[in-house]
Amino acid sequence: MVGPRGVRKAGIVALFLLPSAVPLLLFTIAPMFGAAWISLHSWNLQSPMQWTGLDNFARLLGDADTRDALLHTLYFLALYLPLVYLLGLALAVGLNRRFPGRSLLRSMYFLPVVTSWVVVALTWKWLLNPANGLVNHVLESVGIPGPGWWASPGWAIPSAVVASVWKDAGFVMVILLAGLQSIPEEYLEAARLDGASAWQSFWRVTFPLLTPSSYFVVVISLISGFQVFDQIYVMTGGGPAGASRPLVEEIYDLTFRYGDAGGASALSLLLFALILVVTVVQQRLQRRWVTYV
Amino acid sequence: MSRRLLIAVLAVGALLMIFPFVWTFVTSITAGGDVLTTPRLIPEKAGLDGYRKLFEVLPFWRITLNSFVLAVVSTALLLITSSTAAYAFARLDFPGKNVVFVGYLATLMIPMQVLVVPLFIEIRAFDLVDTYASLIVPTIASAFGVFLLRQSVAVLPKELDEAAFVDGAGHIRIFLRITLPLIRPALVTYGLFAFMSSWNAFLWPLVVIRSREFMTLPLGLASLSGEYTVQWNAIMAGSVVSIVPILALYAVAQKHIVQSVAQAGLK
Amino acid sequence: MSARPRLRLHRAAALIAVAALALAGCSKGSATKDTSEGGVTTVRYLTFSAAPDHLEDLNGIVAAFEKANPDVKISVQTAPYKDYFTQLQTSIAGGTVADAFELDYQNFVTYAQAGSLADLAGPAANDKAWQPSVVSPAALDAFKHGGKQYALPESFSTVVLIYNKALFDAAGVAYPTSDWKWSDEAAAAQKLTDKAKGVYGDFQPVSFYEFYKAVNQAGGTFLSSDGKSATFNSPQGVAAAKWLIGKSGTTMPTVTEIGNTPDFDTNLFKAGKLAMWHNGNWQFDTLKDVPFGWDVVVEPGDAQKASAVFQNAVAVSAASSHKDAAFRWLNFLTTSDQTVTARINSSWELPPLADASKLSGYLSKTPPSNRKAVMDALGKQSLLPVIAKEQQMQDIVNNALTKAAGGEDLQKTLDDAAKQVTALL
Repeated sequence: MVGPRGVRKAGIVALFLLPSAVPLLLFTIAPMFGAAWISLHSWNLQSPMQWTGLDNFARLLGDADTRDALLHTLYFLALYLPLVYLLGLALAVGLNRRFPGRSLLRSMYFLPVVTSWVVVALTWKWLLNPANGLVNHVLESVGIPGPGWWASPGWAIPSAVVASVWKDAGFVMVILLAGLQSIPEEYLEAARLDGASAWQSFWRVTFPLLTPSSYFVVVISLISGFQVFDQIYVMTGGGPAGASRPLVEEIYDLTFRYGDAGGASALSLLLFALILVVTVVQQRLQRRWVTYV
Repeated sequence: MSRRLLIAVLAVGALLMIFPFVWTFVTSITAGGDVLTTPRLIPEKAGLDGYRKLFEVLPFWRITLNSFVLAVVSTALLLITSSTAAYAFARLDFPGKNVVFVGYLATLMIPMQVLVVPLFIEIRAFDLVDTYASLIVPTIASAFGVFLLRQSVAVLPKELDEAAFVDGAGHIRIFLRITLPLIRPALVTYGLFAFMSSWNAFLWPLVVIRSREFMTLPLGLASLSGEYTVQWNAIMAGSVVSIVPILALYAVAQKHIVQSVAQAGLK
Repeated sequence: MSARPRLRLHRAAALIAVAALALAGCSKGSATKDTSEGGVTTVRYLTFSAAPDHLEDLNGIVAAFEKANPDVKISVQTAPYKDYFTQLQTSIAGGTVADAFELDYQNFVTYAQAGSLADLAGPAANDKAWQPSVVSPAALDAFKHGGKQYALPESFSTVVLIYNKALFDAAGVAYPTSDWKWSDEAAAAQKLTDKAKGVYGDFQPVSFYEFYKAVNQAGGTFLSSDGKSATFNSPQGVAAAKWLIGKSGTTMPTVTEIGNTPDFDTNLFKAGKLAMWHNGNWQFDTLKDVPFGWDVVVEPGDAQKASAVFQNAVAVSAASSHKDAAFRWLNFLTTSDQTVTARINSSWELPPLADASKLSGYLSKTPPSNRKAVMDALGKQSLLPVIAKEQQMQDIVNNALTKAAGGEDLQKTLDDAAKQVTALL
């Protein structure tokens, strides 16, 4: 690290960190402690809070609905993460080379990112309609029986995954494109002059230099994926009969519909712990696969 | 050959991508409030009553202005707070840096649905309920931005910094004169996301705003749904109006994202 | 060197501008400004039923009230129904709740039990304009809790059977009468369904709101009379569930055809493709201009008739410092002539008045001609089961019905649901 040491260094670090640290502490971390406090009580948001200690945690850890919600969330994440990354990567690489209409195509792929979920859900529920939707139509015309998608307990989450991957691929594409921009053309030139094939160029030169952006995508997708709510809710409403209900929907229900803000806060702390562990593991693993030039 | 195929595939994919937006637009110019479950590409009866209803029911220009000003202020603040922190994490060394960074990330790990109530009580304690400031406050800093920008600062060659230091520059000058210009694509990208996030925010404004003059676009559009009836053409018109500024922003931002960063730096 | 002072000036100006903006950003909105100035009390009122279609009506009522009560000003705040209770609960938790707010019957018990509603006896005694005899006694009772009056009934709506006369004529089926039973409805629906043409005979959602009254129609009860256990898994309850579930796919579109669009049935009926429709009198205005003749009748029962009635009420917040003024507003809002006229003229939900003749203006409007059915349904009401843990109960029942509709064993799902609901009581 260049520059001053000692007290002046502390001053510099403070100068650069405080503009973000203070608001985060005041307006995010403080409420998080507030939520932790609430989790030790029973509260319906209206009557005074009643102390219950760790009862909420014990109850939720043993609750079947919570267990199901966790499974639904994990199922979503396991399908969503690889698909959205791969699709975004393919789009970024495909739309990185110069050709006429590239800008227009990039904008079109970004459009779903800004389209509202209400519209996206309407579209995909129509496309994935088990009875007469386009997707099942195509599947059946090649002899594959069309699944029940959002109307069936087993395929409800995959249908939400399809809609989410479609919507978010443009976002991943934009991030990875920015990462691709920072790869000097000289490296790829050199690889080509050395006789590397397109695949080798990609795997040996491009991808390693893309790992910092990829790392960002993976970690952010994990953190937000564990908190998935809207994406599933607009497609399935958490159904049918709660078959696709994710953890955050349960948290919302507990707070605003079941009068159990204490339980909701406890559950969110448990979720927080889970996400934190996963993220710290990612941080450690960073060394193995991410190259910062 | 394979390049043509690639472009063809991408083009077809792109059509699929814009289809919902086209449907939204077509519904917004359909007369009558109904939309059936089957989308149409050409409206049965065209009419602008979807848009007219928007203006009738809502103080539309006012709430769009609110959303816009809010998003601009929020984006500016986020760019400042995120880029400074990104520089700190990518370029400064201090004890506990990794722990602090994970601490930043931790602020992303609790859903808004849980933060809303304690944050609201806190804002009440500061006597800021139903003020412009209360809308800005949760959006001054974001670990998402810090993370995104940190990655782009981290890939910049350190030689530039060292050369500048030898020339007598301190961190502030390096940050302003070298780092920021070099991460312009990432700044623009994040600026776009920050704008979108503020533009579409719903839960927090719902809870903290009471007066109609502070209403934002998402709140306004939600109020178009009655308890029993749904005026689809108005809602779709609202969607279109909500999307168009973002698209315009993206079109403008695109130019700035396409830039060969490292080349400029190494020369 | 001469650039320096100017730069400093610019920086100073920028700082002052930012500080000024920050201060401006902290100033409160119009709805939160001080509530008592110069002898005029501002009462904040939160509502969901007025927006988006009836704001003008409400503003008219507010204007009339303020004219008659110059010492009180009403500040109206609206929120869409979907998000209303999120906002309301958060404002109660944060101590910023409005002085008066609207509630529907389903949520009343939760808020009364939590202590968020003020006992209206005191403010009522202080209001000389309050005449309890004007309001229907049954409606008043519905909003008592522990013997105390916690809200004033504001409006009611009933669910009836709406039918398309043209479709009946074309199929040669006699119109529904008030003597019809389930079997009559089922038979007619069969004859009226023509899937090839996309025409369906019947539409009744498989949901809690249809189920509880169907149980009554079958002669059973949803909860036991002491309210301590769930009894909807009785043979009558099973019959009711079968009645609802059996329609989908035969005389009613399937779940996938409906596609979860919230107003699928409205559009189907308006397009002339639905013969019979279980829905409420709030649809009358929407159906004003359809190109075919239609009418309504009280929903057929089986062992007895039982109709769903939905009520909204208005309450004073227990935390309000203007309870008397708020009550005077609520009194005017629920019983004044302005209100009655406005509601009738714009097909807003009806006020629950003791003297039904005041609503004659409503009854004489057409279509539909048989508006009397709306009142008859009131007389044969199936009381909505409401408990403190209302949302959980509704979710449990809805899930059970969905599972049964999806093919799981009906008795077993109802038994499981009953057990879960009993645990809530």
